[in-house]
Amino acid sequence: MAEAVGKKTFVVTRFDPDRDEVPRQQAYEIPVQADWKVLDALNFIKDEVDASLSHRWSCRMAVCGSCGMMVNGEPRLSCKDPLSDYGDTVEIAPLANFPVIRDLVIEFEGFMEKLKSVKPWIIRAKELAAEDGPVNQKPSELEEFKQFSMCINCMLCYSACPVVANEPEFIGPAAIALGHRYSLDSRDEGAAERNEIFRGEGTVFSCSYANECSEVCPKNVDPAAAVNQAKFNAVIDWMTGLVIKRGGQG
Amino acid sequence: MARYAHPKAMSSSKPARTRTAPPQLPDQFPFEGRYRAYTLFDATGILYLMLGFLALGTIWSLGSGEEAWKGVQIIYRSWVYVAFHALSLAAVIFVGIRFFGFFPKAQPPRIGPLKPPPQPVILAMLYVAWIGVAGAMTVILAGGIF
Repeated sequence: MAEAVGKKTFVVTRFDPDRDEVPRQQAYEIPVQADWKVLDALNFIKDEVDASLSHRWSCRMAVCGSCGMMVNGEPRLSCKDPLSDYGDTVEIAPLANFPVIRDLVIEFEGFMEKLKSVKPWIIRAKELAAEDGPVNQKPSELEEFKQFSMCINCMLCYSACPVVANEPEFIGPAAIALGHRYSLDSRDEGAAERNEIFRGEGTVFSCSYANECSEVCPKNVDPAAAVNQAKFNAVIDWMTGLVIKRGGQG
Repeated sequence: MARYAHPKAMSSSKPARTRTAPPQLPDQFPFEGRYRAYTLFDATGILYLMLGFLALGTIWSLGSGEEAWKGVQIIYRSWVYVAFHALSLAAVIFVGIRFFGFFPKAQPPRIGPLKPPPQPVILAMLYVAWIGVAGAMTVILAGGIF
C-alpha cells in the first residue's frame, strides 16, 4: 500500500431515515494518497472510520455510472474524480435534484420511469424473423448516434439541470438523449412515435438550453445537443405531418 | 444550508419504499459558477420586454402627431434612456454570442437526405448574417439608403 501524502477533511452529507428529520453534515479527517480518487477516500472512511456511511459504487472505472455525487457542489463521478483536484476540505453530498434514501444514496425509480417513457428500444414496423438475417448497418450510420449511445446512466446531467429541479414532469436530458439515439438508429422505425412523445408536455420543449447537462457529462455524450436536435426533429416531423399523411398516403 | 428543489423532482410515480430526504438544489444555482451565465441569459428577457413596451410607445407617438414624436425624441436623448439602450445592446451581444455558441450542435445530423454544413461553417454563417443585418439596419437608420 502506498504511503499517505497528507490529510484531507471530508464533509459528508449524512441522512438516516430512521433518525434524521433532514440531512446533516459530518466531517472526517483522513490520510490520503496522491493517486486517490474521491471514491477511494469514501471507501477508506467506510472501511476504516465509519462503517455506517452509505454510498453506491461498483466498477471503479467510470463505466457503471453508480458513484455519481456532488463534490464541492459539482455533480461528479467519484471514481473518475482525482482527489488532487481539491483543497484540504472536500464537501460531498448526494446528487442534487434527487430524493435521498440514505447518506449519499439517491432514489432513482423516477429516473427509470423517465427512461422507459421514450421507448428506448428498436421499433420495427414489422418484426423480422431470424431467418431473414441481420439488419446491417454501415459505419457511417453507426456514427450518427454512437455519441448518444455512450451514456452510462450516471444521472449527473439530472443533478445539474435547472429544469429538472423545478419541473418534476420534465423527462430530462439522459432520457431524451436515449430516445434520440434510437430515433437516429438506421435499424429503427419508431422515430415518429418518439417525436410524438417529444412534442408532449414536460419533454424537449421544457429544456431551456442551460447546457449544464453537457458540461457535467463524464462520457462527453452531450445530452444538450441531443435534446435540441430532438426539438428540431419533432418540429420537422410535425410540419411534415401537416402535408403528408402518415402511412404514405399523400 | 439546504435549499430545496421541487419536492417531487425526480420522484417515482409510486410511493418510495422508505422515507426519503427531499431533493436539494445544486449549491451553485442560480447565481454561482456556470449557472450565473444561464440566469443572466434568461434575465435579459426582462430587458426585451421593456424594449418591447418602449417600441410600442414610440409607434404610438408616431401616430399622435408631430409634437408627440418630438417629445419622444427628447426623452430618448436623456441619459437614462441612453444607459438603458447601452445595457440592452450589451445584453443582445451576450445573448447572441451564447445562442450562436449553442446553435450549431443543436442541428440534427440530417433533415431528410440533407446534411447540415460543418459546425464551424454554421457558426461563421450566423456571425456573417448578424453583422450584415446589424450593418444594414445601421445604414438605414442613419438615413444612408432612404
